[in-house]
Amino acid sequence: MRSRSSLFAQSLTGTGLTAWVAIAVFPFFWMFLISFRAPVDAFSSTPTFFAPMTLENFRHIWIEDGFWRFGINTAIVTLSTIAISLTIGCLAGYALARYRGSLGFWLLVGALVFRALPHVVLLTAYKPTFYELGIWSRYETLIIVLVAINQPFTIWMLRAFFVSIPRELDEAAMTDGCSRWKAFRLVIVPVMWPGIITAGLFSFLLAYNDFLIASQLMNGEMTTMTASLGNYMGQNKSMERLMHGIAGAVSVTIPIIVLIFIFQRQIVAGMTAGAVKG
Amino acid sequence: MKTKSFLAFVAPSVATMLLLIALPLVGVAYLSLHQSHVKTELVELTTEVPLIGGVTRKQTRVVPQSVLGEDGKPIQVWEFVGGRNLEKAAELNNLAKAFASPRGDPGEKTYLARLYREVTNYDFWSALEFTLLYTFLTTPAILVVGLALALAVNSVSKRLRGTLVFATLLPMIVTPVVSSLAIYWLFLDNAIITNFIEYLGLGKFYFLADKFTIRTLIILYGVWFAAPFAFIILYAGLQTMPRDPLESAMIDGANKWQRLRYVIVPHLTPLLTVITLIHVMDAYRVFEPILVFNADIFANSVQYLTYYTLAFENNIHKAAAYSILTIAGVILILVPVLRKSFREYRIST
Repeated sequence: MRSRSSLFAQSLTGTGLTAWVAIAVFPFFWMFLISFRAPVDAFSSTPTFFAPMTLENFRHIWIEDGFWRFGINTAIVTLSTIAISLTIGCLAGYALARYRGSLGFWLLVGALVFRALPHVVLLTAYKPTFYELGIWSRYETLIIVLVAINQPFTIWMLRAFFVSIPRELDEAAMTDGCSRWKAFRLVIVPVMWPGIITAGLFSFLLAYNDFLIASQLMNGEMTTMTASLGNYMGQNKSMERLMHGIAGAVSVTIPIIVLIFIFQRQIVAGMTAGAVKG
Repeated sequence: MKTKSFLAFVAPSVATMLLLIALPLVGVAYLSLHQSHVKTELVELTTEVPLIGGVTRKQTRVVPQSVLGEDGKPIQVWEFVGGRNLEKAAELNNLAKAFASPRGDPGEKTYLARLYREVTNYDFWSALEFTLLYTFLTTPAILVVGLALALAVNSVSKRLRGTLVFATLLPMIVTPVVSSLAIYWLFLDNAIITNFIEYLGLGKFYFLADKFTIRTLIILYGVWFAAPFAFIILYAGLQTMPRDPLESAMIDGANKWQRLRYVIVPHLTPLLTVITLIHVMDAYRVFEPILVFNADIFANSVQYLTYYTLAFENNIHKAAAYSILTIAGVILILVPVLRKSFREYRIST
């Protein structure tokens, strides 16, 4: 009796998980598959698994549409965002983990409110101001905006990691004559690397995945890969253009898949640190 | 840590947040209270209009022209309008009309249905309606799906778990615009799923041209996109689950369902609360699927509505008014959370 019901439960679990994996992966799998096809085969009335493959879509978007330029922009913007946001975020996260006064509490509450804000609210203010100041469509502008938007989440997460490092460690360093800054730099940062890498991954994802801000703040050749996909959306586009968009979307996805392959453990740790400990 | 060094450590981070988050909020409030237009004047313009041959005739017309300032740029006139932008954005006039017009017995069901239909005709209210619908339908769904996945993955062998977590992370981590597009390309009029349904003899569906199907699709996208997040957190929670209560429940003869209901779920309750909070904040700003599916006629969201007003209508004051209404919503969502954490903080000090 018991074994029969557990057998039933096991097969139910197996079916459920298989179905879930199929649902989770299929849209991306299909997108990858049809990105190598001509429009006729990609959207044929009888879907086929095997069809002639071509690199034409990729060639067109990367070379003729200048996608490589957006790739460079994305690299510049995301790498700078990660570097700046980790530097200032570590300082703040460390201070929040060690400080006992009420200011720390208020800062965290403020950050929570900022985190909940839809980004378009900020964009509404940026648009006329940046235009007036003449800092429209520049790397520095987009980078600093992304850093600021990243901060609430980054300081919450890094604080959770710093809290898990025992106080005794920096206190011992300070009784040995280190200043607070030296204790932070020489004792705490070296043991914080796993936390810093995790926070860096999430900074990357936020900057890389952003469409809303980049598509509005940057024009023409200055835009990022993700934001440039906007050029291929809309209903009145030809089938060829749609196919170029699919190749672009696949190109945007590949770095993320590589990232999950390498850093799966850190991503999981980061999400749980934010929620479970924070 | 001393207050002085605390302030020094947080200064750069706080400075960027003040400059690029807090200050813009003040800016949005300012924009929403003002209107601006380019200053124009009427100018008499005399041109020579050719008649026949070389003969011309002088013609004088009065045309409006923007006034240029000393720097050669058109002069912008700013005018304080108080709550007028907000009133227009929320369409208070139309709301009042909808509520005032007599429609038979107010107790009637059709009265409420008609009122609902009328109110959701207005831009902001229809966007708010779908945003709330999306939020309140996806939240319980991701909790249930996330919990089911966490329990299922927890019960399979360790070797399989890595692959399962990898597959599960995909919908959540891949750029939202791209994952929306990946779904969109499955449901186009001649795409694989549409064709497959037709092939099965279930008829031709135009998923993206019908209010019901497009709304269903966006909500299912929301579950697909956010359930992995609930899964990861609940899965981590299951790892910290102490074995003793589970074992004693089994000795007491509790079946699977009872163990889930009385031992596992209570252990995970704090996590379910955190997931709900974070998901409600994220769902409230749903944007990408609306943009990608071209759904705004059938299913708009407050963030997309503001984006559209800003990017395509180029109306910063109206967009600012929508932003203020959006912020009001965020504050309403956060009030219970803030009150709770404030109370806990007071107790702890």
